Amino acid sequence: MPVIPAELVHSNPGLDTEQIIAKLLGGETLLSDTPDHLIEVVDVLESYGEVLDAYSKNLIYQGEHQFLNPFPIFKYLDGDLSPAKIWRHLNHDRINFEYAEYCMKGMLWHATGGMDAYFDSEAFNENCKAIIAAKRRRDPLLAILHPLFPDFLSELIRNAATTHALGQFWRVMSDLFIDLAKAERAGTVRSIPDVVDFIKQGLVAAAANPIEYGVTIGGQQFWILPPEAKLTFLVDVAVPYVEAVFLRGMPFLGTVSYNAQAQQISPDQATFTYGALYADPLPTMGAGVPPSLLMQDMYRHLPQRLHEWYWERTRGEGDVREKICRSFQKSMFCVTNAAISGTMPHALDTTDPEEQEANRAYAASWAGRLVIGRTDCLAA
Amino acid sequence: MSAALPLPLQLIWLIPIYGFSGMLLSLPWATGWIKRNGPRPAAYLNLLVTLLAVVHGSLVIRSVYDIGPQHVDLAWFQAADLNLRIGFDLSLTNLAALEFVTAMSLICQIYALGYLDKEWSLARFYALIGFFEGAMSGVVLSSNLFMSYFLLEMLTLSTYLLVGFWYAQPLVVTAARDAFLTKRVGDVLLLMGVVALSAFAGSMEFNDLYDWAGNLKGTGALGPVGISLLGLGLIAGPMGKCAQFPMHLWLDEAMEGPNPASILRNSVVVTCGAIVLMKLMPIVQLSPVATDVLLVVGAISAIGGALVSLAQVDLKRAFSYSTTSYLGLVFIAIALQLPGIALLLLFAHGLARALQFMGVGSIIATTNCQDLTELGGIGTRMPATSLAFIIGSAGVVGLLPLGSFWCYGLMVNSLQDSAPGFAVVFLLTNLLTATNSTRVYRSLFLGEPLPKTKRAPEVNWLMALPMVSLSVIVLLLPAMMQRIDPVPGIASFSLPVAVAVSLSGLIGVVIGALVPLDQFWSRSTTPWIRTLQDLLAYDFYTPEIYRRTVVSLVANLAQFTRWVDLNVIKSLADGVGNLSMATANDLKLSVSGKTQSYVLTVLFAIVLLLGVLQIGRGG
Amino acid sequence: MLLSSLLLIPFLGTAVLLLWPGEQPLGRLRLVTIAILLVQLVASLVITVQFDPSIAGMQLQEFHSWLPGIGLDYSLGIDGLSLPLVLINAALTLVSAIITRDIDRRPRIYFAMLLLISGAVNGAFIADNLLLFFLFYELELIPLWLLISVWGGANKAYAATKFLIFTAISGMLILGAFLGLALLTGSVDFSLTPVLSDRLAMGGQIVLLLAILLGFGIKIPLVPLHNWLPDAHTQAATPVSVLLAGVLLKLGTYGLLRFGLQLFPEAWAELAPGLAIWAAISVLYGSLAAIAQTDMKRMVAFSSVGHMGYVLLAAAANTPISLLGAVFQMVAHGLISALLFLLVGIVYRKTGTRDLKVLHGLLSPEKGLPLTGTLMILAVMASAGLPGMAGFISEFLVFRGSIAAFPVATLLSMVGSGLTAVYFLLLVNRAFFGRLSITPNSDDPIKDARLDVQLAPVAPRETYPAIALAAAIVALGLLPFGLSYLSETSITALAMQSMGVS
Repeated sequence: MPVIPAELVHSNPGLDTEQIIAKLLGGETLLSDTPDHLIEVVDVLESYGEVLDAYSKNLIYQGEHQFLNPFPIFKYLDGDLSPAKIWRHLNHDRINFEYAEYCMKGMLWHATGGMDAYFDSEAFNENCKAIIAAKRRRDPLLAILHPLFPDFLSELIRNAATTHALGQFWRVMSDLFIDLAKAERAGTVRSIPDVVDFIKQGLVAAAANPIEYGVTIGGQQFWILPPEAKLTFLVDVAVPYVEAVFLRGMPFLGTVSYNAQAQQISPDQATFTYGALYADPLPTMGAGVPPSLLMQDMYRHLPQRLHEWYWERTRGEGDVREKICRSFQKSMFCVTNAAISGTMPHALDTTDPEEQEANRAYAASWAGRLVIGRTDCLAA
Repeated sequence: MSAALPLPLQLIWLIPIYGFSGMLLSLPWATGWIKRNGPRPAAYLNLLVTLLAVVHGSLVIRSVYDIGPQHVDLAWFQAADLNLRIGFDLSLTNLAALEFVTAMSLICQIYALGYLDKEWSLARFYALIGFFEGAMSGVVLSSNLFMSYFLLEMLTLSTYLLVGFWYAQPLVVTAARDAFLTKRVGDVLLLMGVVALSAFAGSMEFNDLYDWAGNLKGTGALGPVGISLLGLGLIAGPMGKCAQFPMHLWLDEAMEGPNPASILRNSVVVTCGAIVLMKLMPIVQLSPVATDVLLVVGAISAIGGALVSLAQVDLKRAFSYSTTSYLGLVFIAIALQLPGIALLLLFAHGLARALQFMGVGSIIATTNCQDLTELGGIGTRMPATSLAFIIGSAGVVGLLPLGSFWCYGLMVNSLQDSAPGFAVVFLLTNLLTATNSTRVYRSLFLGEPLPKTKRAPEVNWLMALPMVSLSVIVLLLPAMMQRIDPVPGIASFSLPVAVAVSLSGLIGVVIGALVPLDQFWSRSTTPWIRTLQDLLAYDFYTPEIYRRTVVSLVANLAQFTRWVDLNVIKSLADGVGNLSMATANDLKLSVSGKTQSYVLTVLFAIVLLLGVLQIGRGG
Repeated sequence: MLLSSLLLIPFLGTAVLLLWPGEQPLGRLRLVTIAILLVQLVASLVITVQFDPSIAGMQLQEFHSWLPGIGLDYSLGIDGLSLPLVLINAALTLVSAIITRDIDRRPRIYFAMLLLISGAVNGAFIADNLLLFFLFYELELIPLWLLISVWGGANKAYAATKFLIFTAISGMLILGAFLGLALLTGSVDFSLTPVLSDRLAMGGQIVLLLAILLGFGIKIPLVPLHNWLPDAHTQAATPVSVLLAGVLLKLGTYGLLRFGLQLFPEAWAELAPGLAIWAAISVLYGSLAAIAQTDMKRMVAFSSVGHMGYVLLAAAANTPISLLGAVFQMVAHGLISALLFLLVGIVYRKTGTRDLKVLHGLLSPEKGLPLTGTLMILAVMASAGLPGMAGFISEFLVFRGSIAAFPVATLLSMVGSGLTAVYFLLLVNRAFFGRLSITPNSDDPIKDARLDVQLAPVAPRETYPAIALAAAIVALGLLPFGLSYLSETSITALAMQSMGVS
């Protein structure tokens, strides 16, 4: 057996179920509270906020201006067709909006939550019919295709609705993360518990925001996600987003075989564990690992303080995007933490045994899912 | 000699360079040298050079149409009686193949922009595709065996690298290795043939080789065994490239690679292999043994591949085995000296198969799944994909008057009297392929949506557009075949033949429509059916057979060699060493000693030596 | 004077380093050595320019009587066989010096020995006198032994001693043959005049040739005389391995051609069929043994055993094409094995292991060694004889030149070429594909999947020599006519000479 220098390999202990439950019920943060963690989480969320700002604007632009466009060649340009912008686009000197679409596809495909339920409702169907009728009048190709493929357009409308809704969700998250960075600079956020609390307050404040989406075809306004559907920020978009992106995710072509005979992928999507809280940061930027796009985008918006912090560690600039991924995973645990404590059925300091039991059951259900996640990133 | 030739012909050597230059142009992004910006410019540059190749190719076709076939060559390496040249045979069939290669490469590259939209290693992918395309466009134009071999091996390398594209994925690790080694076995055997031909025939130009082969028949030199070995060596390379039994294994495993590369592999790469075989056929036919082997291998591959494909639950593999099957048909056609029909079949199959695989790719991209048992009910939602799949399948099956139908007709017509057995092989393959396409179609597009297909919007335009364009090309293919027609009239077969072909396709479709799909090919309770199912699902246990024969042979030989090395040779050496060590110790030649003592020893040795010489001289 | 400069430059350099007063830091010594080796490279290039490829025999000759009594003359000359090897020596010694960065003791002696080896190797390649050759051949031995035994790995004493004993026996056999030649022919003509039947009966020729074959067979090395090589390689530092594989093994093949084939053409023709079989055995044995290795460096070392067998095959066939192939193979193997050892050295330095059972996923772009991995893929493909790189054209020439004479041995050697792909693909796929890890699997797969690996980054300067070698490999593969232009006339004459006599 070869002698491997011990400093080359490193692994942290993870948390077990009881530890997670104890932390959640005790109001302790999952991520241990250290000054380094504070820098990592706040700064990486700031860069994430900037990236989400671009994602959000683009998704909303796509939802409103590229609706059912068969050749959305300029969909990433946000309507700005100046030569400089086109050149930057061609030179790939831009945000990777492909990743935003990837998250959107994940949400649509996993099909959970209130918005997805609304997609199957009669009301949605009626709205689609009206939109399709309006579209068919203008587009002979669609007029032919629709009778042959009756679900084609409604599926694309669901796609557009998810795109727009995710854009609205990220609008809130982007502002929240950038505000967090400001608060930390202002000195009002000084620790990881402060961070989690800040995010929790933000989520609670936005929880009831309505999610609505309408398009204009030939001067006529059509609702796709109408106000009557009463879709709201937290329950109908944030929760399915967390489910689809943080928890389930989609298997990466670069790390998992799709071969049916090899049976590496579960037939039940609900048991998927490919999301951000489970992902292995080591292959970041490797082939077939889509979150690499996000890491690149955050790398381009990295705050100076965090960048310098990275320079002093491991390979410095050499593996900076992998380190971003690690920090990002930590920050996503903080966001999840905030979401869990924001949705706790009862106050943590309740003395009612039944309420305590309900809280415990809620925490246990989360702990069951988190315990197989990368809790090893949470240690100091 | 080429002064009078039009410029596009004089610059014909640029054709493979376009692809290779695409690779070089991608390097700044592929190596991570450009870190802040994304890799897409590499893709655009590759598209650009491929477009140049397409345009250049069509200019050459126009010139050749006017002035007839040309031969252009350049010196590369010369020593003693060896003259290796870079040669291009500009016949219309070769150029049609070139346009096929470059156009397919272009379409696939556009498709890949959509399919791999979230791929950060995009530049490396395009670099490899450029390399791939360069090698293939050289192979189809090559006028000499050396250059063909040279480029075929480059194709092997790029296949390895493309299959290994997602190198961190565990199954890719073995798939890339097996793809390379299987092809390499064929390549080494082919190299034996190439080297032998080079030594015995002198020239490597195909035309000179044909002359040599013609003369050889008369002289009877080389002996029947030598000729048989030569023939077998020559067919081994194409067998590996075309994934023929028993060297078909790699194509299955190569499905671990990215789908755009799978599209190319299942259409143009196998075609390149077959084209090389076609060029070698006048030499191979010297040996009846090699010709028979071709026929047997072709027939086994055709029927076996079609049967195995029926039992696959993996979407990509259901069709990759079908590719093996069709190339088996091509092998039969080539072995029976019907190169014209073989070529038509290659084009018809290649285009339609590519279309099928594009449909497969968009299903995988949308559903994140390639397990047939988990897919269903997407037919009403994905028009471009559905049409691509239907047209692609129809183009492969001889039923509707698309490409393959005419090829089947021509083949069956030619064979019905001379080799009726092979006509049956063709019809049976058609039947089985139709069954397979129909059952896959049903499970993908019909029925109720399953969880993984509950939300399945059509793919983005970068994938849809190439699919639709290729669909149109496949629909128009019979007209094109009529034009480039290397045989007299693509419809020159009798009505009964046409009926037989259509009937075989129709029966296949009916069987495919009736076969039970629920719990898809779940293991039957009847023992013999279960055995048969397993036999086909696991590809006649070929991987296991390999493991128990070739792999274990090499592994055991290696272990044996290692054992000999450690226990015999090392012991002997140590014995000698111990003997000498005693002496060395006396001289205090231990490592901890001082440097000066070594130098002294050396000087002493040299002086001693000179002294001995002096004495020897004196004595 | 031109050829003497090939000796003067490195030997003066050795003297300068050894006599340089005061304690000198490693960096300065390294720079001085690199400068001296650059001068040597320039001198070699000047000689290449001066060299007239249309002349078959020795040229740029220098002659000074030294010890005429024992037939030892200072007689130098260069031809198309030795010139490429002189160039390879200049280039690869330079590479060795450049990649020496972290030796822990006595840098002065280390670099002096490096220069001494380079000079001795030059001397051996350009010596136009048997005894002069032998002196240089022996002169290279001691510094190399020092390099292994002082700057080697944990088991260096064993490896160095084994190397010393084997090479000493090799030297004895060669010297014995040379002296035997003098004794049997009764003259002290140690010039390179072919020994024909009119001078010496066939029996005597064969005995002498056998001694030569065994002597150089150890150096090449050929199976079963190869046992010293894997140990020497595994214990030697990377720069020494580069030098050993890239340059010093070529002394054996060069000696085989120069003092076997050229000196004893008739006996050679007698033994050729046996030599071809020996070559095939060597090729297959080396390849099969390489498959069974788990130490990357041992694997590369055994691949050397296999690939040097091609040279023997080519020499046995003794046709213009095959001998040209032999020259190509020597150059190609020099470049490719140097690159392989260099890359294995980088892996070892960064991970602390060369064990294929524990190394995985080194291609990982952020945390692994992606550029090293890419170059490794190129190097193994070149070694496996993939077209477009130096290995292919060399192997093609060897096989093409040999198949008519020895079809079975040639075909078997080609099987060996196929096996090269097997073991090198095992190497690449195990060590570079998959998830990055450098430790054996524990019982807990989840824990393994979470193990973070911190490898030091590979600085660009560490890979420049590798990139240069890779570029040379591709250049030789795509543009082989440069080398054949230099060598063809001499090689053809060599093949014709023996054809004439046999």
